[in-house]
Amino acid sequence: MTAPVHILLVDDDPAENVILRALMRKVASYAITLHYVETVDGALDFIRAAGAPLDMILMDNRLQPQADFRETVPELRRNGYIGPVGVISSSISDAYFQKIDDYGVDFRIDKAELDPTAIEFILQEYVKRDAGAGI
Amino acid sequence: MPVLNRHYRRYDFEGDLEKALNRVDFFRIFHTMALRYGFEHFGVLQLINEHETSQLATRLMLHDLPAGLAETYDKRYRLNDSTLFKSFYRSTISTVWRSTDHFENGARDGSDFLDQIGFDMALSIPVHSVNGTRFAVLFLGDGDDIDRREHYEICYEAGCAFDYFHRQVLANKAGMGLTPRETEILRWISYGKTASEIALIVSVSEHTVNSHTATILKKLDVVNRTQMVAKAIREQIIQ
Repeated sequence: MTAPVHILLVDDDPAENVILRALMRKVASYAITLHYVETVDGALDFIRAAGAPLDMILMDNRLQPQADFRETVPELRRNGYIGPVGVISSSISDAYFQKIDDYGVDFRIDKAELDPTAIEFILQEYVKRDAGAGI
Repeated sequence: MPVLNRHYRRYDFEGDLEKALNRVDFFRIFHTMALRYGFEHFGVLQLINEHETSQLATRLMLHDLPAGLAETYDKRYRLNDSTLFKSFYRSTISTVWRSTDHFENGARDGSDFLDQIGFDMALSIPVHSVNGTRFAVLFLGDGDDIDRREHYEICYEAGCAFDYFHRQVLANKAGMGLTPRETEILRWISYGKTASEIALIVSVSEHTVNSHTATILKKLDVVNRTQMVAKAIREQIIQ
C-alpha cells in the first residue's frame, strides 16, 4: 500500500524530466505521479486547471523568461499556490540561496544530491501522508 | 554574522554548515556524509534516559531511513532492549557494530539491533548539545568495517554537523525568543486568519505557516492558537 503523490516539475530542459522520472520510479514508499511543464506560465495553467491534484512543486532555479527563483516562486505565490515549493539547481552555494525563506521557497536541493532517498525524505517532510502504514 | 569564531575548527565543511538553514539542508549534509564513508543511511537519535521507553520512530529527530522502517521496527521490537541502545548508557565512546561479530564461543556479539533493522553494520557517535542534552548520530549500511582514520574523521564531522543542526533546528530559544517571521504570523493569527490565508498574505507555503505556528506554540509553551494569542498579548509581543 503506497501513498499517491503528485509532483509538478517545472524545468526548461526536457532531459531533466526524463532523469527525474527515472529517479521517482525508484522511490518505493510513494506512488509518485510526476507532471511536467517547461515554464512558470505552464505551471500556473496547471495549478488553475480545476481539480488537478498537486502535492509539491519542484522548480529549476533558472527558467526563461524570469531570472531565477527570486522571480519565479513569488509569481506562484501571488497566484495563490500555497503548497510546498523546492528549488533544484546545480549550484545552490550562491549567496542568494540563503534567502529562500524571503521568496516563499521551502527547500533547495542540488541536482547531484537528488537521489531516491532524498526524494523520499522530502516527501515525508512536506507531504503528510501515512506512507508505509500498510507495511 | 557567524556565531562561531575561527577557534571552532570546522575545516572544509564550515561552508556547508554555515549555510544550512532548514531540515532539508541538514538532511543533505548528513546523507552525503553517510555515503562518503560507505554507509547508506543516517539517523540522529535523541537519548532521554535508559529506563524510559524510547521508540525509534519518535526519538529519531532526523533520518533518511526508508519510509515506515522505524515504525515497523517499533511494532516488532523494543529499542530499549537492544544492545546498541544499552551501550549509550555505558559509555559515550563511539561504537561500531557488525552482523558478523561473534564472541570466541561463537555466540552473537550485540548484533541484535542490526538483525532487527536489517543492516550489516552500524556506527554510533554519541553527541550532546550545548545545554547538555544527549543524542547519538547513527550510520547504517552493508559495507566493510570502517578504518581508524575514517572513524576519527566521521566522528569529528558528525559532531560538528550535529552542533549546527541542534543550534539551527532543534534548539528552542530561551524565553519567548520569536523570530520576526514568527511574530508576523502570530499577528495574522490574532487577526483571525487561517493558515492558508496567512500563506497567501506572507507568500510562503501553508506547510511553512504551520511549522512556524508549531514553533510559536512550543516557544510560548501553550497548547492552542487561542492560548497562544492570549499569552502573546499578556507578554506584550503583540498589542
